[in-house]
Amino acid sequence: MPKTETLAFEIGTEEVPAADLARATGQLGGIVGDALDAARIGHGHIEVYSSPRRLAVLAFEVACETEALVEEYKGPATAIAFDDRGAPTKAAVGFAKGKGIDPDSLERRMVGDTEYVFALKHSAAQQTSDLLAPLLEQVIAAIPWKKSCRWGSQTALFSRPVRWLLALFGGDVVPVRFAGLVADRLTWGHRFLAGGPFEVAHADDLPGVLEGAFVVPSMEGRASAIRSGVAAIERETGLRSVLPEATLLEVVNLTEYPTPLIGSFDESFLKVPEEIIVDAMLKHQRYFPLYDGEGRLTNRFIAVSNGDPACSDIIIAGNERVVRPRLADAKFFYEEDLKRPLEHFVARLDTVVFQESLGSVRAKVDRLVALVEHVIEAAGLTAADAADARRAAYLCKADLVSGAVVEFTSVQGIMGAYYARAAGENEQVAEAIADHYRPRFADDAPPRSTVGKLVALTDKLDTICGLFAVGQGPTGSSDPFALRRGAIGIVNMLAAGLPVKLVPAVDAALEAYGTLVGDKAAVLEEVVAFFATRTKVMLRDADHALDVVEAVQAAGVFEPAQIIARVEALSAVREEMPDTMDDLAVAYARAHNLGDAALGIQVDAALTGAAEQGLLEALSAVESQVAGFLATNEYVEALKALAALRAPIDRFFEEVLIMDDDVALRENRLRLLNRFVAVFSPAADFGKMAKAPQ
Amino acid sequence: MSSATDPTGTAASPPLPPTFQDVIASLQRYWADQGCVILQPYDMEVGAATNVPATILRALGPKVWRTAYVQGCRRPTDGRYGENPNRLQHYYQFQVLVKPSPDDIQGLYLGSLKTIGIDIERHDVRFVEDDWESPTLGASGLGWEVWIDGMEVTQFTYFQQVGGFECSPVSVELAYGLERLVMYIQGVDSIFDIVWARGDDGLVFTYADVFLDNERQYSAYNFEVADTDFLFQEFNSREAECMRTLEAGLAIPAYDSVLKCCHTFNLLDARGVISATERMAYILRVRTLAKACCASYLEHVAGTLPLGGGEGARHAED
Repeated sequence: MPKTETLAFEIGTEEVPAADLARATGQLGGIVGDALDAARIGHGHIEVYSSPRRLAVLAFEVACETEALVEEYKGPATAIAFDDRGAPTKAAVGFAKGKGIDPDSLERRMVGDTEYVFALKHSAAQQTSDLLAPLLEQVIAAIPWKKSCRWGSQTALFSRPVRWLLALFGGDVVPVRFAGLVADRLTWGHRFLAGGPFEVAHADDLPGVLEGAFVVPSMEGRASAIRSGVAAIERETGLRSVLPEATLLEVVNLTEYPTPLIGSFDESFLKVPEEIIVDAMLKHQRYFPLYDGEGRLTNRFIAVSNGDPACSDIIIAGNERVVRPRLADAKFFYEEDLKRPLEHFVARLDTVVFQESLGSVRAKVDRLVALVEHVIEAAGLTAADAADARRAAYLCKADLVSGAVVEFTSVQGIMGAYYARAAGENEQVAEAIADHYRPRFADDAPPRSTVGKLVALTDKLDTICGLFAVGQGPTGSSDPFALRRGAIGIVNMLAAGLPVKLVPAVDAALEAYGTLVGDKAAVLEEVVAFFATRTKVMLRDADHALDVVEAVQAAGVFEPAQIIARVEALSAVREEMPDTMDDLAVAYARAHNLGDAALGIQVDAALTGAAEQGLLEALSAVESQVAGFLATNEYVEALKALAALRAPIDRFFEEVLIMDDDVALRENRLRLLNRFVAVFSPAADFGKMAKAPQ
Repeated sequence: MSSATDPTGTAASPPLPPTFQDVIASLQRYWADQGCVILQPYDMEVGAATNVPATILRALGPKVWRTAYVQGCRRPTDGRYGENPNRLQHYYQFQVLVKPSPDDIQGLYLGSLKTIGIDIERHDVRFVEDDWESPTLGASGLGWEVWIDGMEVTQFTYFQQVGGFECSPVSVELAYGLERLVMYIQGVDSIFDIVWARGDDGLVFTYADVFLDNERQYSAYNFEVADTDFLFQEFNSREAECMRTLEAGLAIPAYDSVLKCCHTFNLLDARGVISATERMAYILRVRTLAKACCASYLEHVAGTLPLGGGEGARHAED
């Protein structure tokens, strides 16, 4: 067993942002492992430690010597490598030189019946301790950051300034250099509870030294300390807390020694809608709200302290003082907002930019009001629902200029609903205002009512069309207006039966933009293609075969709901009768490739034999059936009707020589194939599903 | 005149917490001891202490620079007629700029909290990510807001770019929110209850005594009275003046016109006469001026930018 040691490496920093720290913690182990592997340094498992002020890694059982290496290269045959007198030829000299060895040291070995020369390159084992400093310097540089900082007079980049380095191989310091620092065996503890520096005698001791210095050096450790503190508070108070992942992660990485504390605020603030209070606590202060047994928000909250637990009273009192003006602000804005009806805010939407080239949100509201008329008519709403949809479209953005939403942006829509109710709007209007931003994230519920769904569709479609009109459609990972999510939301609502047709709605949305849209036809095409792509991706994500999706889309179907229904049907029928569908796909592809569209589909019955006759009759029968089923959206039935063509087309291909020398016969047969293709084409482009296109 | 309470409320006759002016004096003394030039407030309207030439222009170029100063800041839209205990249209920042940023700057900063009476070992002091960006100045930096027991008291920023130019060496900026900090130290819940000064005879001046009338009058002026035609005209005139001054290679006085444009724009904004789309256009106009001033400063004052070129010039066009 070769000798091994533990390697400890700690990068001491100023406070690294929470999300960046989480990402780097996830990547550091791999980076170090790869670096050791690349240097042929054997090692055991690797553990990553982190806190806001450090990223550290321990690699166990790191070999003290690299593995010696013999690399073997096969050269020319001995007969070619050496001349009659046994002297190396040019070939041998060139080969040896290329491998960096002397021609005389080429070895000879039999490979099968022939003897070849071989070059053996020996790389001696190296002392790991000689390699570690540059290796760890590369590790620092290899950690990726979304944003990097420069500091002082350094040119080095890191998430935040690096203030110390600790690098130990066993008990020995590895002199890693970075940004003017040289590593030693000193680390630093919790900034206020145990500053340091602390000397670390041996690499294995680092985690213990950190724990002794009031640093819980892992994200898991801090998360579990927070969870158990929260659980204790829940037991003590009988209340329940909610720990959203994103906020918890932030708190975990904003503390080195977390202590959950319970605080409270004046009960009078509970008159303010709870969404604002929760936003103020979670987003602004990273407090966790507490709820009673019935799920109602209470006036108590959990703050996670990084301070001295002995000073918890002072710390929580300070936090309570901080939350008070925030909630007072929220209450003030809410009460001020309530002094005027929601409608009052609509005019002021001209101070909010929708998009630089597309004007203000006020202008958007005008378009929503126009577009919703199209949608109302398409959906055939009752007079009462139509009135609600109009009202909601007019009011849905109004809360953007309310004091509460300006201050607490995540409650947009929600506050609008409160203000709508207060102004005497009916419940359906209020709900539609609250819901029209949905879905706000993947798996979010759609708006509750049909009116809500229609207003959501109107808003999203306006945004998508406008941004495409000014050439700001999503590219790669850049989609600042969340157009993809908006399109997916629309497609899901349409697929779930919202009775609106996409293409005419896009047309109406572009119409509402008036002269802001230059080439309307081109933008329409782009937007419809964008929806087609979204639909395709959604279907693929739902495990539908890509060829099925393409077959349906190639038939000129643009309505997402129709695409989805047809793909589902085609997938089901293909599963039910796989042989027939494969056979038809091949036949279709063959017919399509042979056929000559210029000849048309008028087949002369007088020129047909029995097999052709059979196919022609089957086509006539099936054609009208298919048309009927498609007209009533009975897609499965349409496909099954097409399946009846399998026998006649197979017989035709078996018995009939298509490329007859007689031009009249040949062309008539090609017309028959054209006819065959034409009968299929309204349903799907079956050629897309042919496994081996002919 | 009100009297302040001690937040810890322990001893029988507790020492009174420092006044507003005590805190300023302590911070000035502390940063003077760190070798900073203690400047007096800049004599023009600014929205933030960062915008003062001693920070924004001096952050450019290779020369060492250390300064600290109090700066009155005007944010017309934040006015609340003196009725909101937490909002003012005019307030004070204590600004520190050190170039290059020292290695122990976090420690120096924490030391400054101790000198103004905050026992940091007994509180929860945190550095919470908050990157800074000023679209009007083409400036950005990385850093934190510093929290004490959940309250933001300071912006702490390593300047990466100013006027579109990379900062090298990097300056560190500390911007203390003085009113908040003092409210915390004095344990009061309204800005207007802050004790500004306390005489030996017990006479106390509060923030309300000093500034409540100003808040009422300026709120009315900013929101209701300021002449918008005049302001639009002023913006245009100042813009032209800035460019004319730049043609003479005078970056420092040209930059004053940028500050004037900023303030005029803020007043127009408070008067509610700038629509959303116009707003973008105005911000762009100010940014163009600010970048031109920074380029001129680098060329004529810092002497580091060769005419019409250089790494920074490319960034400026981004």
